[in-house]
Amino acid sequence: MSFLPSCHEVQTELTEYAEGALPFSRRLGIGLHLLLCRVCAGFLRGLRALPGVAKRSLRPPAEAPESAAQVLASVQAAIQKGAQRRV
Amino acid sequence: MIGTELTEPELIQRAAEGDSDAFGTLVQPHLALFHNGIHRILGNVADSQDALQDALMSIHRDLPRFEGRSRFSSWGYKVCLNAALMLRRSRVRVHDMERSVPLALGAFDERGHHLEPEHLPEWQVEAQAHAEVEQQELRACLNRALAELPDSHRIVFVLKDLEDWDTDAIARHLQLAPGTVRQRLHRSRVQVQARLRTHVLGGRV
Repeated sequence: MSFLPSCHEVQTELTEYAEGALPFSRRLGIGLHLLLCRVCAGFLRGLRALPGVAKRSLRPPAEAPESAAQVLASVQAAIQKGAQRRV
Repeated sequence: MIGTELTEPELIQRAAEGDSDAFGTLVQPHLALFHNGIHRILGNVADSQDALQDALMSIHRDLPRFEGRSRFSSWGYKVCLNAALMLRRSRVRVHDMERSVPLALGAFDERGHHLEPEHLPEWQVEAQAHAEVEQQELRACLNRALAELPDSHRIVFVLKDLEDWDTDAIARHLQLAPGTVRQRLHRSRVQVQARLRTHVLGGRV
């Protein structure tokens, strides 16, 4: 493992790099590689952008699916049954 | 019958006392949120229905203890995520393709450097996905990518990147080492990014 890691090594360790989980010397090597390599820097931008893109795109729909409405109805029926039993 | 003029605390009180209409009125506005959170974790309709049922029963049972320190929707959502995680734990997972998910994208030479870097597309989803049809395509693509992830990886991606849990909390909850969580998260991100590049950007991976 040389001081300046390869693109493959950088891409493999980018999540650990972004979380600060790597030893200082490794972080330094990856940081330097990212300054020199636009492809790996773009890959890191992609990883950082992904949670935001995914969160915005996967927002819940305005209405729950029919299957969820059926579950709620069955739970309401069980609640009602329980309430009648207590009376 | 419950009118819409009742406040949330009034609905909670009535529902806790066994009023099923009040419970329905209380939960209905948040049902899509609750279902969505559960479905992201479990990834299939049948399991999601079971977990939603467990969650709604728990919400009803625990309503008397709900003190209103957080919003009902936030509290209920947490109950739903817990129900999904509990159900997930009880299911035997047969397929786990951990080794088949790559840790990096693209072709590399023997020294591990990119081959043909000029052909690797830059990440431009934000810029390209403004149109409604592109948003729908992006959503469908992300859903497909999530569905294709091994279960052990999807759960980590969902909790970290969609639910904002921290790595240590995920590790504790899933009984994994933090390093394993990070590795699964990385594989998931790489896989999802590969799908987005292929389907949305039309790029090569």
